[in-house]
Amino acid sequence: MRRRIAFACVCLVGIVSAPALARAEVPVHIRIIKGSKNGPAKMDDSLLVLKKQLSPLAYVQWTQETDEKRTMSKGKIEFFKLPNGDDVSLQLRDEQPDKVTFEVVLLARKTHNKLTVERGQRIVHQVSGEKDGSAFFLTVIVWPDAR
Amino acid sequence: MRSCVRIAPMIGSRPGELPAEDARALAAHLETCAACRALAARFEATDGLVAEALLARANARDFAPFVDQVMARVGHRSPRAAARTDRRSLLDALRERWRIAVPALAAAVVLAAVGTFMYGGEHVVAEPEQRLASLEVELSGEGSIVLQTSDGPVVLLAPDDDTGS
Repeated sequence: MRRRIAFACVCLVGIVSAPALARAEVPVHIRIIKGSKNGPAKMDDSLLVLKKQLSPLAYVQWTQETDEKRTMSKGKIEFFKLPNGDDVSLQLRDEQPDKVTFEVVLLARKTHNKLTVERGQRIVHQVSGEKDGSAFFLTVIVWPDAR
Repeated sequence: MRSCVRIAPMIGSRPGELPAEDARALAAHLETCAACRALAARFEATDGLVAEALLARANARDFAPFVDQVMARVGHRSPRAAARTDRRSLLDALRERWRIAVPALAAAVVLAAVGTFMYGGEHVVAEPEQRLASLEVELSGEGSIVLQTSDGPVVLLAPDDDTGS
């Protein structure tokens, strides 16, 4: 009888926690892109979905350096190597049904920025200083099915 | 004499008015009867005078009011009278039907206002896809600038000094 009760409790806990566990794994789409003020105005075809966010900036030429899809869980830190040798870390700080919080850390610049965005929103974060008219950016969007 | 009685109504007839037989009888009688011949001559002399006189009298009279009165009776009016009558009839109609006219006018004004608000105010009300998403930002470390767009935030770093990265 006790075993049956214990087994039922375990099943109940599993049923209740399964959705929570499922939510903890969040698929994200991450890119490292380069913006340049030099050269003719041009944008890689793969970056056209970022046009609304990138067009207000002073950079006229945009190229994609890396393109990754990862699954992040709450508290997990992902590291990315920039073409200029710097490192940038990305951490999923919080995840809610309609919004998510990321923290971007730039060790070389001692920058910690935490951003909470709505579902389907994309973060575009400059991750390097401007050099010779060019700079690197990191873009991250959750639920990559959206865009 | 009996011939004159029979022929007299034919005197003064216009050419082609009489049948051929009566025209031959008239001509034959006028050749033999001086009295009928004189009568025919008087008719010929006065032919058209009555018509001309009537026409002159008609031209001398102003028939415009007559025309207006007749057309008014049949429903057609002169432009000047029509304009005066239209204004009066519209006001009269509104006075008579104010219970219907006032709510109808009010409803028309309300509909126009609603339509203007909904379709004319699109320059003021943002489209849903242009709405800026909610954003919470905590920045620490070196200065950063956040641009908010409808697709999400753009975070820019403060310009470097001379060193760059």
